Amino acid sequence: MSEIIDSYIPVAIFLVVALVMPPMTMFMVKQLSPRSRAAGKYTTYESGSVPTGTARIQFNVEYYLYAIAFVLFDVEVLFLYPWVTVYKGHGITSIAIVEMFIFVFILLFGYIYLWKKEALTWVK
Amino acid sequence: MPIEIPEFILPLLPWIRGTVGLSLIGVIFLGAMGAVWLERKLSADIQSRMGPCRVGKYGLLQLVADAIKLFTKEDLKPLNADSLLFNNANIFMIGSVFLMLVAIPVGAVFINGVEYPLAVTQMDISVLYIEAMSAISIFGIFMVAYGSNNKYSLLGAFRNFARMVGYEVPLGLSVVSVAVMTGSLSIVEISRSQGLLWNIFLQPLGCFVFFVSLMADMGRLPFDQNESEEELIAGWITEYCGMRFGLGFFAEYIHMILGSFLVALLFLGGWNVPGFVANNAVLGLIAPTGFLLIKVVFVLMVIIGLRWAVPRFRIDQVVDLSWKKLFPLALLNLVWAVGLGLYLGA
Repeated sequence: MSEIIDSYIPVAIFLVVALVMPPMTMFMVKQLSPRSRAAGKYTTYESGSVPTGTARIQFNVEYYLYAIAFVLFDVEVLFLYPWVTVYKGHGITSIAIVEMFIFVFILLFGYIYLWKKEALTWVK
Repeated sequence: MPIEIPEFILPLLPWIRGTVGLSLIGVIFLGAMGAVWLERKLSADIQSRMGPCRVGKYGLLQLVADAIKLFTKEDLKPLNADSLLFNNANIFMIGSVFLMLVAIPVGAVFINGVEYPLAVTQMDISVLYIEAMSAISIFGIFMVAYGSNNKYSLLGAFRNFARMVGYEVPLGLSVVSVAVMTGSLSIVEISRSQGLLWNIFLQPLGCFVFFVSLMADMGRLPFDQNESEEELIAGWITEYCGMRFGLGFFAEYIHMILGSFLVALLFLGGWNVPGFVANNAVLGLIAPTGFLLIKVVFVLMVIIGLRWAVPRFRIDQVVDLSWKKLFPLALLNLVWAVGLGLYLGA
């Protein structure tokens, strides 16, 4: 157990550096860079014309359908990760493989259904 | 014969490894500068131009000049941007690549015939960990785009999200297919197991799927719909300028280098070359790392070359490619890998 925790101590050290480095860099930039104020400098860029409306629009609902499909299949892949480490050399090889194929096969039905429903196509 | 480590150092060892490993960050920043230089020079060669050639010999110092310029540029933030998201997005981008860097072995040394991988930390689930950390960078991109409140940026981010979402699944499946052969999720184990036969020969299909998904994951050119200068004015970085952009840019190139490391380690045999045995003390220290770096530079050059060989895809083509072509291919490759693993293991 302690070995597992030990292997994550360097991760914690790197995480601290990653949290500190960008703000420190920006602080240095603040000291080094020139500063000038002008009206219009701080407007949103929209190819030179005055921006109209807000950018935070509502997106097509099919986009979210697409994200849900991703969650389904990504979880499927996640379940395969632990399976990989145990299926060989534990005396359960044949049953493990049959079970995995059943699992993938069931999800394939969902995949074909989504394909037929055109949930996997970018908004027409 | 392994090296003897004094008893009293053992509990401190992970802390020492982590602290010494921080020097890798400096090395990888230099590597990213090298990658940018390589990309500019190679692109120039492909297009019969000179590329950077004024600053330093062969333009080698061009990137130093660029960094100085970025440091002395005013940090500009549009008025109706969301400061919380806009200011902190860098942390996610930089954090993603730094945390990937921790687990990726950058070489190996042989001392007295025993192999020591040069990784800051070795986990038993490092492949899964690396993939998870690699996916975090998308939060940074989305934070910038949503925070800057710009229409181009938001469109770019939505495209980026759709792309990442589609390619994460084939990427994961091809990694699983590689792990199936070894029966381990540790990247060191996977690389070690390819001493005689590299995975690219065992699973050419898996290698193809992994490489294409990785290109999409990194947003390299045929898949850079989130930036697409011509239509979206650089997409998610329209409002991001100066060093803020610089950090994101560096993170992107580091991501590219680490991606090349992944290809080399998972499919091109890592630091192994068939027929090479480290029987010489000096050779054992240098050669394996050298082999790995040669492979990484080769993969980098292929990635950069593809930029000029393939035009950018439309977003609907990208989505089709991932869900309707790569996903079935990745499943097929998984079946092949399971069969092959059992056949070779028996």
